[in-house]
Amino acid sequence: MVRKNRGYITLFLLPTVALFILVYAVSLVILFGTSFTEWSAGRSPKFIGLTNYIQLFTDDADFRQSALNTGIWVVLQSTIHVAIGTIFAIILSMKEFYWKFARTVYMFPNIISGAAVGMLFLCMLNPDFGAVNSIARLFGNADFSQNWFMDYATAFFSVTMTWLPYAAVVTILILAEIAAIPESLYESARIDGASTLKINLYIVIPMLRNIIGTCVILSGTSMLQKMDIILMTTGGGPGNETMNLPIYIYKTALMDNNFGYSNSVGVFLIGFGLIFVLLCRNLFRIGSSQH
Amino acid sequence: MRKSLYKAGCTLAGMLMLTMSITACGSENSTENSGAAETAGSGNTAPAAKAPVKISYLTFRVGTHASAKMEEEQIKQFNAKYGDEVEVVVEEIPSDAAYVDKIKILAASGDVPDVVMGKDGINDVLIKGNLATPFNEYLDKDPEWKAAIGEDALASNTRDGKIWSISDQKQNIGYFYNKEMFEQAGIKPAETWDEFMSSNEKLKAAGFVPLALMTGENAWTSNLILAAMIGTNGDNGKSFMNTLHPTDFNTPEMIQALNMMKELLEKYTTKDALGAGYANAANAFSQGKAAMIANGPWMIGDFSDPTKSSEGFDKKVGVAAYPNNSLISTYEVGYMIGAKTPETREAAETFIRFKTGLEGQKIALEYGNVMPVSNEIQPSDALKQKYPIIVESITVAQKTQLHYRTLDSIVYPNVTDAWKNLYPKLVAGRATAEEIAKELTEITGKNK
Repeated sequence: MVRKNRGYITLFLLPTVALFILVYAVSLVILFGTSFTEWSAGRSPKFIGLTNYIQLFTDDADFRQSALNTGIWVVLQSTIHVAIGTIFAIILSMKEFYWKFARTVYMFPNIISGAAVGMLFLCMLNPDFGAVNSIARLFGNADFSQNWFMDYATAFFSVTMTWLPYAAVVTILILAEIAAIPESLYESARIDGASTLKINLYIVIPMLRNIIGTCVILSGTSMLQKMDIILMTTGGGPGNETMNLPIYIYKTALMDNNFGYSNSVGVFLIGFGLIFVLLCRNLFRIGSSQH
Repeated sequence: MRKSLYKAGCTLAGMLMLTMSITACGSENSTENSGAAETAGSGNTAPAAKAPVKISYLTFRVGTHASAKMEEEQIKQFNAKYGDEVEVVVEEIPSDAAYVDKIKILAASGDVPDVVMGKDGINDVLIKGNLATPFNEYLDKDPEWKAAIGEDALASNTRDGKIWSISDQKQNIGYFYNKEMFEQAGIKPAETWDEFMSSNEKLKAAGFVPLALMTGENAWTSNLILAAMIGTNGDNGKSFMNTLHPTDFNTPEMIQALNMMKELLEKYTTKDALGAGYANAANAFSQGKAAMIANGPWMIGDFSDPTKSSEGFDKKVGVAAYPNNSLISTYEVGYMIGAKTPETREAAETFIRFKTGLEGQKIALEYGNVMPVSNEIQPSDALKQKYPIIVESITVAQKTQLHYRTLDSIVYPNVTDAWKNLYPKLVAGRATAEEIAKELTEITGKNK
C-alpha cells in the first residue's frame, strides 16, 4: 500500500520538507557556523575557532548559573508538572461530580498568554498591594511585606510557581489516552475484585507509558524555551538567581551585541534538548507497544 | 489502476486551477499596469503624477506611551504637508524595549528601516555597521534647519566630524515633589545631598514614603538620582557623567553614589521598588503614596490626567533641581537615516527634517511636553495655562549651573540592562558597592 502511494506521499511531503529546510535546517546551519565566529550586529562574522566554546565552559559564571537553572526547571517540569497533570487527568476521567466545571477552571491558566500570567503574578505578589501579602497582613502580621520576586530566598520558587502547577495540556493529552483504553479491561478488573486505586495503579498508569513519556518530553523541552514570564517577573534577577539559557542568549545577543557568542549558547541549548529527548525516549520506550 | 489515474487526474486538475488562479491574480495587476502604461504612451500628454516615495518607519510611541499623541500629530501634519511626495509606512511596536530589540535584529541582517530612532545603543550599531547616512550634506544645504537644531545638539551626535543623528528634544530632568507632603514635613527642596538625606528622614518621620524609585526595566527613576549623585561629586563625577561609554566604573564617585542609593532603596522608598517598573513608581507618586519622583517634563501631563492622578493633584506638584544647583541636561540621540537608495534617503531626510525642525519641535512641546532643542520654540499661552509647571520647569532649568547626562545616554545598553539585577544584589547585601562597580566595569567590557 505504502509502495503504491509512494509518489503521492513524496508529492505531499515536499512542501513541508522544503519549508523545514528553508526555515529550520538553514537556520541551524547558520547558527552552528556562526557559533565559531566573532559576530556583532551590522558587522561580518569573523572566524575565531573554538574561542566562544572555551570561554563558555571555562570562564562564564553567568552561563553556568543559567544552565543550572534551566536544568532544574527541566527536571521540575518533567516530574512534578507531569505528575500533577496525570493525577488530575485520572481524577477527571472518573467523571465525578462537577468534573466538567473543574476541567474548565483548570484550563484557564493555560489559555492566558505567558506575559499576561506574568503580569497577574506581579500584581498578586506585589509587596505593597498584592493579594498574597495583604492576606498575610489580614491574619495578624500587620508589617508583613515580602518582595517575592526580588528576594533571593523566594525569587526562584515564586517564578517556578507561575507555571509549574498549570498542567492542563498534560491533562488533556492523558485524558484522551485514558478514553482510548478499552472498557473491557476495566470490567475484567472489576469482576476480579480490583479497587479503583488498583485499577489506576496497575492498569491505567502502565497503559499511559507512551503518552506520559511524550508529556515529559513536551513539558521538559518547553522549559528550554521559557522566557516571557521570567522577563516579565524578574528579568533573570535578583542577581542571576532566575536567569535561564534563553534569557542568557537574549542578553548576550541583544544587550552585549555578541551574536557569535550567543549562538554558541544556542548550540549548547539544542544539544541539551536533544540529549534530553533521547533520554526520555529510551526511558519511556516511546513508540514501543504498551500492551 | 483506474482509481490511481483518477487520483492523479484530480491532483493535476487541482494544481492547474491553483496555478491559473495565481496567474489570474497576477495578470489582473499586469493588465492594470499595462493599461496605465498604454494610457501614458497613447497620446495623453499630461505628465503622470509621480507616486510618493515610500519610507518605512517603526515607532514605539503608540498606545499609552507618553509621547503617542505627539507622534500621531507629527505624522498627521507631515502627511498633510508632504503626503504627495513621501508616504511614511508606519509600523507600531508596543514598547521601547521591543523596538530596540527589533532594530538590532534587523541591523544584524543589514536591513534597517529608512528612518531609525538611534536610542539605547542603536546609533552605535548602525554607525559601526555602516548602515546609516550622515546628515552633514543635508544640513549644509539647509542652514535654517541647522539653526533650528543648534550647535550643541548637533555636536552631541557628531563623531569624527560626521553628524549621524538629529536630536529632536532636550531632556532637562530634575525631580517632582508633592508640595503638601513637603510642607507637612517642614522641608523644601534640598540644596545639598546631606540635606536631601535628612529631608528623606523628615518625610519618613511625618509618615510619608519619600521616594518613588524602581529598579526594574532600566531602573529609570532610580538611575536619575544616581546620575545626579555622581554628576555633582566634584570634577571627576561631572566628567564621568559627561563621558560617552565610560569603561571604568571603579571610581570613588560611583561607589559613594551606590552606597547612597542602597540607603535610599532600603529606607526611603516603596516596598515594591525592587523589581518595580516605571509604571509602579509613577503610580506611587501620582497616587500620593510617595513624596518625590525623579523624571522629566513629559510626565507633567499625567498629573492632571484623571486616569493616572487624583483630581487636583497637578496643583500639589512642584519641580526642583537636584542638590548642588544641578540638573540632568542631555540631548536625545534622535533620528537616523537607514535608507539605502538615494530616493528613499531624500524622503527619509524630508521626514526627519519635518520632525526635528521648528514645526516638529513645536508639536512635540505642545502635544508631548517635550523640551525643544531650539530656543525659538516657546510654549503657547494655552499650554502654559494648562500646565503651569512647564513654565516652572523651564525656570528651574535656566537657574541651574551644573549639568550632566543620564546614565542611559552614556553607557552601553548591556550596562543599562544590568541594573535590574544589580540593585537587588546590592540591597540584599550579596555584593558591596565596590563589587557592583567592578561588575559594571566587566559588563561594559563585554559589549561588542
